Amino acid sequence: MSSTPIRVTVNGAEREVEVAPNTTLLDFLRDRLQLTGTKECCDLGECGACTVLLDGRAVNSCLMLAVEGDAREVTTIEGLSENGRPNALQDAFLAKGAVQCGFCIPGQVMAARYLLSRNPHPTLAEVREGLSGNLCRCGGYVQICEAVLAASEAGT
Amino acid sequence: MQPFAYARPATLADAFALLDEHGPDACLLAGGTDVVVGLRNRTLRPEMVIDLKQVAELQPAISEEGSWLTITATTALAGIDEDQRIHARFPALIEAAATVGSAQIRNRATLTGNICHASPAADTAPALLAYGARVNVASARGTRRVDLDEFFVGPGKTVLQRGELVTAIDLPIAAERRGAAFARITRRRGVDLATISICCVVESAGRTVLAYGAVGPRPFMVADESGLLADPAARDGAKDEVLRQLLTKASPISDVRGSREYREAMLLVMSRRALRASLERLRAA
Amino acid sequence: MIGTSQPRAGGLARVTGRQQFIADINLDHTLHVKLVHLDCGHARIVAIDTAAASEVYGVVAILTAADLPQPVPRFGPVHDDRPILAVGETKYHGQPVAAVAAETKEAAEAAAELVRVEYEALPGVYTVAAALDPDAPLVLEPGLRPDDPLRHSNVLRELNYGWGDVEAAKADLVVENSYAFPMVTHFAIEPHAFIAAPDDGGVVIWTATQNPFQTQRIIARVLGLPLARVRVIAPDPGGAFGGKQHPKYEPLVALLALRTGRPVRLLLTLEETFQEVRRTSCEIHVRTGFQADGTISFQDIQSDFLLGAYADVAERVITKANYLACGPYRVPDARITVRALLSHTTPSTAFRGFGTPQVSWAHESQLDDAARRLGLDRVDIRLRNLARKGEAFVPGDTPCDGDWAESVRKAAGAIEWGSPIAAGRGRGLAVAIKASATTGASYSIVRLHWDGSATVLAGTSDMGQGARTVLAQVAAHELGIPIDSIKVVMGDTAAVPFDLQTSASRSTVFMGQAVARACRDINAQLRQMAADLGLVANVSVVELLRARFSEVRGEVIGVGSYRSEHQPGHPLGGSPSFYEFSCTASEVEVDEGTGEILLVRHVTVADVGKALNPQHVEMQDEGAAVMGLGHTLMEHILLDDSGRIRNLGALDYRIPTTKDLPLEMLALVVENADGPGPYGSKGAGEGGLMATAPAVASAVTEATGVVIRDLPLTPERVWRAIQSRDL
Ligand code: FES
Ligand code: FES
Repeated sequence: MSSTPIRVTVNGAEREVEVAPNTTLLDFLRDRLQLTGTKECCDLGECGACTVLLDGRAVNSCLMLAVEGDAREVTTIEGLSENGRPNALQDAFLAKGAVQCGFCIPGQVMAARYLLSRNPHPTLAEVREGLSGNLCRCGGYVQICEAVLAASEAGT
Repeated sequence: MQPFAYARPATLADAFALLDEHGPDACLLAGGTDVVVGLRNRTLRPEMVIDLKQVAELQPAISEEGSWLTITATTALAGIDEDQRIHARFPALIEAAATVGSAQIRNRATLTGNICHASPAADTAPALLAYGARVNVASARGTRRVDLDEFFVGPGKTVLQRGELVTAIDLPIAAERRGAAFARITRRRGVDLATISICCVVESAGRTVLAYGAVGPRPFMVADESGLLADPAARDGAKDEVLRQLLTKASPISDVRGSREYREAMLLVMSRRALRASLERLRAA
Repeated sequence: MIGTSQPRAGGLARVTGRQQFIADINLDHTLHVKLVHLDCGHARIVAIDTAAASEVYGVVAILTAADLPQPVPRFGPVHDDRPILAVGETKYHGQPVAAVAAETKEAAEAAAELVRVEYEALPGVYTVAAALDPDAPLVLEPGLRPDDPLRHSNVLRELNYGWGDVEAAKADLVVENSYAFPMVTHFAIEPHAFIAAPDDGGVVIWTATQNPFQTQRIIARVLGLPLARVRVIAPDPGGAFGGKQHPKYEPLVALLALRTGRPVRLLLTLEETFQEVRRTSCEIHVRTGFQADGTISFQDIQSDFLLGAYADVAERVITKANYLACGPYRVPDARITVRALLSHTTPSTAFRGFGTPQVSWAHESQLDDAARRLGLDRVDIRLRNLARKGEAFVPGDTPCDGDWAESVRKAAGAIEWGSPIAAGRGRGLAVAIKASATTGASYSIVRLHWDGSATVLAGTSDMGQGARTVLAQVAAHELGIPIDSIKVVMGDTAAVPFDLQTSASRSTVFMGQAVARACRDINAQLRQMAADLGLVANVSVVELLRARFSEVRGEVIGVGSYRSEHQPGHPLGGSPSFYEFSCTASEVEVDEGTGEILLVRHVTVADVGKALNPQHVEMQDEGAAVMGLGHTLMEHILLDDSGRIRNLGALDYRIPTTKDLPLEMLALVVENADGPGPYGSKGAGEGGLMATAPAVASAVTEATGVVIRDLPLTPERVWRAIQSRDL
């Protein structure tokens, strides 16, 4: 079936593209735009590995059709750092030893970024709540939560 | 995902036209958190996906008119949580909505979608039932209102007819004081589908409404009109008697989340707890 | 350098999304592969019709067993039993019967759906009882093991270990119980993925394996190629935990690449990944004899481990774990009888802890039971029986190599053992021990470049444990150069020298030593070089290199290896090079109305010899503890009557989230520099989950008075136990 034209802003750059309606935003980002920092795991909205920001709100890109991104602004993990340099939140992840295999990390960082944008000074319980949609099988939750708290203190 | 066509109508009239044109091959999309999973698992194989998010009449909004609070069909669960009127008037709905998936899910999933999916375990259903919600249904042929209690037919089934969609959910604004609580049992503390869920609303006049999810083919509600459940002086044993009687309406099954027996037992345990919390809140109100 | 928390190598790429995992690799002209499987556990394949599927636009190739070389090549890490695609029947839910390769993933999916498989569902073996039923269907064709006297049964292997005379042993108390441990799945967040491409008369495979050299060997055999023509590139896995240790679909994609002459990629869904690997479930029946003072007098253990449809490495799991089925204790008389049973289920494989969580579930729960009956403290009974340093607790084998009591005391202190506790709460403490790598070899080449920087070549996989960091620390320390001037290259059989595998917490010890030795080889060359050039002894490395390589450039190449040879006649093929000992203590609060458990505090203590990188050790131990809480509290694969997984996928197979964490978590270490690794280190990283279940269960018992011997401790299971207590 025919493709649908959309105009979507990804990491600040506006793009006009045609996408097949049966393409998820996740596949669009990874396969079409080669933005492979956003990860795919469960494809069901259960793991959070595919988390991106849509108009500033965290969403699972596997649960969204790319066509729904029309006239919206998408930020991926690639859009957080400038010239590959980590921002303060990413730095906190490194400093606190929150990164093990790293596969869940882009999603964790995006979820944390969203959490801090809504609640700049969360409690530990709020961090645990806010990140509960992001699975980490390496089990680095303690360090991940510490990193978010540290970034919050640093005022990111 | 199979190929399908995608449309984004700008008005309700356009949406109805598409619905009528494609009949059973059309699928409505709001938040997409259930629909996209269905498409991925190929349990949904529509020819046409109709995205309702641009429909002018359905733009996310929560409004009050007279004694009703109205939540439009594309309002996301996060939007519910961000509304102070709902916090003040329907706190158990806030509690229920907060248990639906993760923050990411709640930024997309809509209250209306949670209801239209008609999962027996839909977490917002018990709260909406207990608060006496009604559903606004519209089609090219007109509009109608359905009490939420009559809206659910069975797992995945509602009274919606071909060509109809839900435009909004209304909640009655109570004049009197009340205490309400939502509770659920899950397999883990993090995001999970409910093994059972329950919402209790105690009105200051003495009526108690209890609504349940995941313990029957559809969410349902029961009421104690005798005032005994709301009576602070009533003995626990007497309350249990009333609860047991009310709970005969439940018909839980065994599945991967829990056995029938466990669900039956938890109905009573959680009903007591929700009732107690509601009474405390009523007192504090 | 050693003993400091150097930042995780590769961390920056991981927080910025630039780390390339398999699925992130895009080769030009790649074909996408989709597998076809049946919706039942055990079935006879009657016919496969690919006509409609091959009509789909974009389909390039469809393979079924009939299209493969005959007889269909079989492979496995130990037994060559697993066919590349199902032959004649499917033996577990999800076994592929066909593979479609197409220009796009949509086309591959659409075509896979159109492959018509006519099949007849057969009765299957899904439980221990069914596997032992003499009338049960045979999972493995007897013809595949013609010389095995067990070939007409579902018993793959029977093991008998022991010493002393259990029958003659005297005891004041005999505790006899049965324990069950469920099937659980690895659930690495990165689903398994495979890419293959034809390459210069051979093939190159990208796979997130922990074991590139074994994959290379197996593919070379299956395809009839020399090792040098099979290149396995193993990018860092996105979590592995044992699940990515042995080949699964690598031979299939390699064959497809050669057939089509194109690169092919197969990305499994998470559901397919669940159907591919799991932990071995088991039922353990134990009789333990005790003296009145709590001294263990004998252990009589009989267990049945339920393997899947193919042996994979499960036999080794069972052999090794049960070798230490009595735990880290002094046991005068022991008898351990184990059956490894085949079934029509997902093949079980290596999984963090390698069988230890299963056996410790039984031996630790037995100690608690005895302590209760004898009126003894649960920590005291352990201290009384723990082997002391130097004691050969398995007669004739590697003696106790650590101060294990120190770990127990540390954990007991951290959980405030013995202090008053609130009603509804309880504490538990348990220990576990794992035999580390026995035999094996690791090689490393270190290249010291003329500018003083160095490249370390090591076949280890960095799957999250941070091997890159630790190996760089070792090289930085040995060569005396800054860590940022070191690059560790891994995971490419065409570039790095042989390493047996990344498993059994062996890398720090085996590869760590190999790297250290390669660096020392360089240092010896440098000393010689300095002498030859007549330079003073304290000239810096850089000055020396500049002096030596000023004109035509060059580098100094060091080679190091660490081997532990096969010991004929040893039940494990060799003595464990060290023991991974760990202690877990937990405090819980139980909601008696619902059966829900709240973890108040959770402590792990690992005896690591020397923490080369304390932060990495802590990450590993806490991570392992969280994983252990999964199988303790919520994880289990549920099968229906036809062997299908009922909770297939992330929606109904639950693992811990941030909200399931204990309110407080502590990961402690004991460091006595008594390990065989560099600077006295031992392997680490598995310990944190080995004793989770018995520690938490013991705490639940203290809180409620109920004893549970089945896992996981779901709210419903705890509630049921409380109901029967109250009867
Ligand atoms: S891949 Fe989107 S939530 Fe798991
Ligand atoms: S770091 Fe490996 S899954 Fe989170």
